Amino acid sequence: MSGKKSSTILWLLLVIGALIMSGCAGTAQAPTEPPPMGATEVPTEAATEAPAEPAGGAGRLVFLSWAGYELPEFWGDFKAKYPDVAVDYSFLTESAEVYSKLQSGFEADIVHPCSNFWKILVDEDMVQPIDTSKLSNWPGVNKSLAKQGEFNGQQYWIPWDWGFESVLVRKDLVEDVPGSWGDIWDPQYKGKIAINDSGEAAHIITSLSLGLDPWNQTDEEYAQVKSKLMELAPNVLAYWSGQTELDQMLAAGDAWLGVGAWNASYVALLNEGKDVEYIVPKEGRTGYLCGFAIPKTSKNYDLALEMIDAYLAPESMAYLANEYGYGISNNDALPLVDPEMVKLLSLDDEAVIASTIFYKYITPEQRELWTDTWSEVKTSQ
Amino acid sequence: MENRQRVAVLLAPPSLYLLFLFLLPLGIMAVFSFRAGTIGAASQVYTLENYQEFIQNTSYHRLLWRSGMIALTISCFSVIMAYPLAYYLVFRAGAKRVTLLTLLIIPTWTSYLLRIFAWKLILGSSGLLNTFLLWTGIIEEASPILLYSRGAVVITLIYVWVPFVALPIFAGLERIDRNLLEAAADLGCKPWEAFLRVTLPLSLPGVVAGFFFALIPTLGEFVTPLLVGGGQGAMYGNLIQDQFVRALNWPMGSVMSLAMLVVVLVLIFVFTRIGSGTKLLEF
Repeated sequence: MSGKKSSTILWLLLVIGALIMSGCAGTAQAPTEPPPMGATEVPTEAATEAPAEPAGGAGRLVFLSWAGYELPEFWGDFKAKYPDVAVDYSFLTESAEVYSKLQSGFEADIVHPCSNFWKILVDEDMVQPIDTSKLSNWPGVNKSLAKQGEFNGQQYWIPWDWGFESVLVRKDLVEDVPGSWGDIWDPQYKGKIAINDSGEAAHIITSLSLGLDPWNQTDEEYAQVKSKLMELAPNVLAYWSGQTELDQMLAAGDAWLGVGAWNASYVALLNEGKDVEYIVPKEGRTGYLCGFAIPKTSKNYDLALEMIDAYLAPESMAYLANEYGYGISNNDALPLVDPEMVKLLSLDDEAVIASTIFYKYITPEQRELWTDTWSEVKTSQ
Repeated sequence: MENRQRVAVLLAPPSLYLLFLFLLPLGIMAVFSFRAGTIGAASQVYTLENYQEFIQNTSYHRLLWRSGMIALTISCFSVIMAYPLAYYLVFRAGAKRVTLLTLLIIPTWTSYLLRIFAWKLILGSSGLLNTFLLWTGIIEEASPILLYSRGAVVITLIYVWVPFVALPIFAGLERIDRNLLEAAADLGCKPWEAFLRVTLPLSLPGVVAGFFFALIPTLGEFVTPLLVGGGQGAMYGNLIQDQFVRALNWPMGSVMSLAMLVVVLVLIFVFTRIGSGTKLLEF
């Protein structure tokens, strides 16, 4: 009898352990992939494992980046040159995490947020200028992209990856392929669109559909954007926060339009043999740009530069374009990219690139306002 | 003296744990809730505006109410499904009890996310359920509504919580002295009367514990709604996450978290009253 009792207690203990673990899973492992660049497969387990302690000696680099970007294919000759350096990746699910992690004392050597967070990190004195003369691959970097990483006359950010955001359409399922951002409000897509779960992106495309400047609006204009955005809710099937999620919804045919979809999704769906079109809305595609900087707190400045240089190498960048279907910042890498991919992604199509509206810096007030509106949209159904 | 030291040594780890990993963060969150902003100078200004905004914003209240209802539904159904399981394990399973208990628990050993994804496979438009319904002819076209809806959130979370709710009920039932049931029978109670008047009231503390095991985490849940909830599945926890992660508005996120804490405390107060007042059920 007592043996039975004690085994029961043992089981209860085990279960409480499991409960605690599942509690952690429920809270810490939000499987949100990066807004601009969910890798094809996201190791969510690993994503929560931040390095146990901040970087210490010179033998260790802490790299705060997106899941999927830790592959050795991006390392160039870094591993050969520094075989003893351990590189710890800590994964982001939002650019904002770079800010919050650095503020809470996390010591990283390289951070990799997107352009809408570049200015604030510079303004808050969290990152240091980069000596581009030490980067052997710097001359190949696209000048207009590089310009976006320049603040106060100094290069703080090294642009690395970029991409379009547009509407990815299951041509075989829809009656009409939308030709503009405004078309996604059409009732024929009721309950059939999967939209990027980002208040910022939603605000930008809504503003564009109304012909307004997303970043500079009067109160009346903002009210107009808000009421327009609220009208989108009935058309929404789901809010996606990772590429895999969107790809699955489109592939299954649950969603007909993937709004805010990256060109990587286009490539993925084509590879699955789906009949899809990646439109160029008449207002222009939107686009993201992400890149590297070295935090002020880094004790491994030179080593971090070496790593960034390795990531910029043509071979690394070509891998990014060929395997992931992302835009790349180093023009020297274009000859190494599959020509079909270059064409598919419009990597060298100046007209499309020129009409693309890249994310700009937004103020904390705008961020709050847009996110609140977005929450209202999301909870209105 | 020696004894006291021993007690101190034993109590120190849990006390420190509670202090540094629970009370202190809670305090920090309370401080944050009064700040005017997350970043820069605004973070040094203290104000009541966040609370005012929370009180004025009806979409927060609506969502808190909706999440509360979802969490209550999930907890109630979990209890209803878990009670017979626990009852069977305690009173009927006999020698198979440990084996069956293991079977009940085994799913919880796999990753939480994996189990949620499994539900996506079941409920998806090319999933098990849709395929079955198509085959029987009940529906003519596969419906994604099964997956991207509030109902999917409820179904998935009930599945997740049933084993955890069953355990405290199991413990509660096991504590019951069998002699009481014999006595009830001797005094002329039919089995169902004995259940209603002896077993059920005595197991209520376990039921209440199980109920809260499910209620508290589901109220703040945001992963499952994100994955299976679709356009209408958003819960209060998603809003809190948005405030912290997307809006970078930690003060508002803190206010919202504290509001949820208050709701949970009120619910605990109410239900423990019901749980301890087992007299309610004696007739």
